[in-house]
Amino acid sequence: MKQFLKNASHALGLALAFGAVAAPAMAEGKHKIFLSMSYIGNDWQAEAANMLKAMAASPAYADKVDLQVQVAGPNAQKQIQQINSMVQAGADAIIVYPISPTALNAAVKNACAKGVTVIAYDSIIEEPCAYNVHIDQKVWGEKSAQWLVDQLGGKGRVVMITGVPGTTVDSLRNEGAKAVFAANPGIEVVAEANGMWSQAVARTELSKIVATRPWDEIDGVWMQAGCYTANSMQSEAGIPDDKIRPCAGEASNGGRIQMLPVGTEVDGANGTYRPMGAKRWSSGSQNFTGALALKLAVQKLEGGEIPALTDVPQNIVTNDNIKLCLEGTWKEMSEGCNVFQPSIIPNPGWFASIYSELTPEVGLQAALIGQPE
Amino acid sequence: MTMDITQPAEKIMPSISTNKLRIGRHRGLITAIVTLALLVAFILKVSATPLGYYDISQLVSGGTTLAIAAMGQTLVILSGGFDLSAAAVISLVNVSLASFPMGSITSPALLFAIGIGIGVAVGAVNGFFIAFLRLQPIVVTLATMFILQGITLLVMDNPGGYIDGSLYEFMASDLIPNTLPMSGALILLCLVLWYWLKRTPYGIALYAAGGDPESARSAGVSVAWVRFLTYVLAGGMYGVAGVTISAQTGAGDPLVGNPMLLQMFAAVVVGGTLLGGGRGGLTGSAIGAFVLILMVNILLILNVSAYYSTIAESSILLIAVLIGAIHGKSVLANNLSRFTTRLGAWREGVLPSQRNFTSQRLSLPGEVSRVPAAAIGWREWIQRNRASIRLALPAFVCFLIVLVATEAILGNAVLNGRYYNTLLVLSCFLAILALGQGSVILTGGLDLSIPWTIALAGIVVSKMAAGSNAELIYAIPFVLLMGAFIGLLNGSGIVILGLSPIVMTLAMNGMLQGVSLLYSGGTPDGFAAPLLRTFMTQRFLGVTPVVIFLILFVIFAVLLLTRTPFGRRIYAIGNSVRAAELSGIGVKRTVVMVYMLSGVCAALVGILLSGLSGQASLGMGDEYLLPSIAAVVVGGTLITGGRGNYIGMLGGVLLLTALQTLLAGTTFPMSTRQIVFGLVILGAVIALRERR
Repeated sequence: MKQFLKNASHALGLALAFGAVAAPAMAEGKHKIFLSMSYIGNDWQAEAANMLKAMAASPAYADKVDLQVQVAGPNAQKQIQQINSMVQAGADAIIVYPISPTALNAAVKNACAKGVTVIAYDSIIEEPCAYNVHIDQKVWGEKSAQWLVDQLGGKGRVVMITGVPGTTVDSLRNEGAKAVFAANPGIEVVAEANGMWSQAVARTELSKIVATRPWDEIDGVWMQAGCYTANSMQSEAGIPDDKIRPCAGEASNGGRIQMLPVGTEVDGANGTYRPMGAKRWSSGSQNFTGALALKLAVQKLEGGEIPALTDVPQNIVTNDNIKLCLEGTWKEMSEGCNVFQPSIIPNPGWFASIYSELTPEVGLQAALIGQPE
Repeated sequence: MTMDITQPAEKIMPSISTNKLRIGRHRGLITAIVTLALLVAFILKVSATPLGYYDISQLVSGGTTLAIAAMGQTLVILSGGFDLSAAAVISLVNVSLASFPMGSITSPALLFAIGIGIGVAVGAVNGFFIAFLRLQPIVVTLATMFILQGITLLVMDNPGGYIDGSLYEFMASDLIPNTLPMSGALILLCLVLWYWLKRTPYGIALYAAGGDPESARSAGVSVAWVRFLTYVLAGGMYGVAGVTISAQTGAGDPLVGNPMLLQMFAAVVVGGTLLGGGRGGLTGSAIGAFVLILMVNILLILNVSAYYSTIAESSILLIAVLIGAIHGKSVLANNLSRFTTRLGAWREGVLPSQRNFTSQRLSLPGEVSRVPAAAIGWREWIQRNRASIRLALPAFVCFLIVLVATEAILGNAVLNGRYYNTLLVLSCFLAILALGQGSVILTGGLDLSIPWTIALAGIVVSKMAAGSNAELIYAIPFVLLMGAFIGLLNGSGIVILGLSPIVMTLAMNGMLQGVSLLYSGGTPDGFAAPLLRTFMTQRFLGVTPVVIFLILFVIFAVLLLTRTPFGRRIYAIGNSVRAAELSGIGVKRTVVMVYMLSGVCAALVGILLSGLSGQASLGMGDEYLLPSIAAVVVGGTLITGGRGNYIGMLGGVLLLTALQTLLAGTTFPMSTRQIVFGLVILGAVIALRERR
C-alpha cells in the first residue's frame, strides 16, 4: 500500500510538472475558479483555505487563476445553492470542501454537465464525475489504532474520543480503529465520547470520563483530535512526563511539540506547550489538499488528465521521526522537519500537516497568512 | 407565548379605519414581497450571464425545502407555539427514504406518503404532549429533537443510501413546461391549501388560540385540539420538506436538515409573522425563505470575502426585518415620537426633572413598614416557598436518579469527591449561562448570540493576557465590559428598533462570528494566563478554585433574582409587560440590562473556558447554546416568562451535566445517547407539569 502510494504520488508529481511545462500561456484570460468552503469557524478550514489562496497567488498560478471564495457554513442545502449559482456565474472549476458526500450529488452532476470541473478536498463527493483529493480515512483509523495496540503490547484499557457523529470521515475512522481494537482481544475500549474535532470539546469530554475513571485505569488514548489536550490534562493532574499515556491522534502543532524529547530547545514554550517526550502517533487530514486541488483543477482546465481519486500520503509522525523546523520553508520541510516553533505558532491547536512534495509553492507562510513561498 | 415583548402598544391600539387595518395587517407580507423583488431585480441586473428559465427553476427548487419547512413552522408559531424538532424531522425523513433497498419503492407518490407519514407521527407526539399534557412547546420539541436525531443516527449513522431517481425526475419536471417547475407548483399547492384552511373553522380557531388562548377558550374554541392539529399539520409539512430535499440530493445524510432550524425561524420572521402567535401567515414565510436563499447568490455576486460573509448575511437579515418594522405605529416610530416630544419638552423646560417639584412621596409610619422577621419553622418555610420548591424539585430528583445510575453503571461516583469536583467544574459554564439566559427567558426573550460571545471573549482574553498573570488585571474587566456592550446592542435593537429577540440575537451571533474571525485572522493565538489555568484545573484539598467561585456565584444569582429590585422587575415584565409598564417599571431599561447581564455571563464563560482549555478556539461556544436553554427550562422556568427560579435552573444544569458525564463514561452508540438525553428532558418536564 505504502509503495503504491509512493508510486502514485510520484506519478502524480511528474504529471503535474509536465502539465505546468506543457501549458501554453493563457492569452484569452484567467480561469475562473470558485472555492465553496464549509464552516470557517475552525483552524483546519482556515489553514486549508489560506494554503489554497497562497497557491492561487503563487507565481506559477497568479496570472492563470481568478479565485473567488465563498462560505457555505454547516448547511448542505446552502452549499447546493452555492454550487448552482457558481455554475450560473460562469465557473470553469469549482473546488469544494463538501459538507455532505451525498447531498451535493445532483448539484455536482449538473455542474459537470455544464462542463465545470468539480474537485472536492479532504472530505468526499460520491458523484462519479467529481474529483476527490483526500487521505484514506479508514486507513488513518487502522494505522493509528494499530500503533496504539503495539505501544500497549496488545493489552490495555483504551479511551476513544471520536469526531462529529453522522459524518463520513468520523465513521470511516471509527470503523477502521474499532476493527483493529476488536482484532486484539487484550484491548478493552472502556469509554467513548464525541470530541467534535475540537480541542475544547475534547477537554470537557475527557474530563467527564476521568471523573469516574481516574487516569490509572486508562492505559492508552485514541483521539481524532485532542492528544495535546489529553497530555496537558495528565500533566496538570501531576502525572510525570515519562508516564503520560500513549496517544494516537491528529496533527496539532502542540501535540507534536510535546513529542519532542524533554530538554529540546524551543522558542516560546508555555505551560504544557513544551517538549515532554510524550509517546504519540500524529497524522491528520492533510491541510495542503485544497491547494493541491487547485493545482489539479488548473491542470484539468489546461487539457491535462487527472485521476478521479488522489489518495494523498498520510505523513505519519511518531517519536521516531519527529523533527523541529526552524523557519518552516517548504525546502526545510522537504528535508524532514514536521513541527514548528511555538514562537511562530502560538496556537497549539494549529495543524502542522502542511507539507507535501506535490505542493512546493506553499509552505508555512502559506498556511499562516496565505503567502506563497 | 409572547416572544416579542415590545409590541403591546400595537396590539392594544384600535385601528381607525378597516382599510388601514387591512394594510397594517399585511405590512409584513408586503415588505417581504418587496424585499424579494428587490433582490431578484438586483440578481437579474448584475448577473454575469442572463438567467434563463432553467436557472430560475433551479433557484425555486433550491428554496423549496426551506420554504415548505418554514410554512410548517409558521403554523406552529401562529398557534403560539415553537417547534425545535422541525429540522430533525427533515433529516429523519431523508435517511428513512434513503434506507429502503434500491428499487423497492419507485413511486414518488409513495415516497411522499412515507415522508408525510413520518412527519405526521412526530407531530402527533409533539401535539399530544403540548396540547393535552399542557407541556411547554419549546421543551417538548427540544426533547423530541434530541430523540429524533438519535433515531436518525440509528437508521443511518453516516451519509449514504439511495433514493429512487423517479423522485428527482418528478421534482425536476415542469408542471407547465417553461413556466412552472414542479417544486414551485408544490409550494403553490401548499399555499392554496393554506388559504382554504384559513377559511375553515380550524383556521379561525388557530389565530384565536394563538392570539389569546383564554379568550378563545371562553369563546368555545377547543384550544387543545386546535394545538394538536397544528403540530400534526406542521409535522406533515416538515415531512414534505424532507421529501423535497431527498429529491434534490438523491441520497441520505443524517445531518442534512439540522442546520436549517435557525434559518427556518429567520424565514418566518422575515415573512412578517409575529413570534408569539396570532399574527402573520404562511405566504410571508415562503417568501422569507427565498429571501434567505437568494443571499447566497447576492454574496457570490458581490464577492464578499469569507470572513465577512456572516456579517453581510446578518446585516441583510436585520435590514430586511427592519424595513418591515418601519411604519407609523412601529416601536421605532413610537420611540422616535416619544424622543421628539421629550426633546421639545426639554427645550421648553417643562420636563419633570427640570422643574422644582417638592417631593410628594407618601411617608408611612415607621413601625408598620417592617414586618417583624420572626423565626419560622421549616414547615412554614416549605409552606411559603411551596411554588418555588415544586419548580426546582424535579430537576434535583432526576439529578439524584442519574447519580445513582452512574454509581450502578460506572461505579466510583456517589462517594467519590473527585467526581463531584469535576461535575461542579464542568457545570460552572452552564450555571453561569443559566443566569443570563434564564433572566432573558424570564422576560420572555431568548439570547441566541451566546456561542460567539463566548468564543470572542475567550479569544480576546487569551490574546490580551498572552500567558501572563499581570495582564489579567485589565484583560478580564475589558472582556466583561465587551460582553456588556454586546448585550447593550442586543437589548437596544430589541427595545429601540423593536426587533424580535430571536432575529436580533441571531444576527448578533453572525456578526460576532465575523468579528472573531477578523480579530484572530482565522487562528486564535495567545494563552490563558497561568492564574486562570490554575483557577480552572488545579485542586487544593481536592477542590478546584472555580468550585468556590461557583458557590459564590450561585448565592449572588439567587440574591440578584429574588432580593433586588432588578430581579423583581424581571419577573414583573415576564408576567405582563403592560402591567409592569403601568406600575412604573422602566421596562425598556430593564430589558436592556437583562441582555447585558446575559452578555456578561457569556463573556465570563468564555474567559473560564479558555482557562480550562489553556487557550481559546474559534468554535468553542457552539456546544453551549441549546444546553443553556435546556438547563433553564428543565429547571422549571416557563419559556414565556415570569415563572422560574435560579435554584431550579441550577438543578437543571447539574442534571444535564451529570447525565452527559454518565453517557461519556460508557461506550453506548451516539444514537442511544441522544435518545436517552431527550427522554430525560421529557421526563423532567412531565414531572413539572402543572395540575389544574
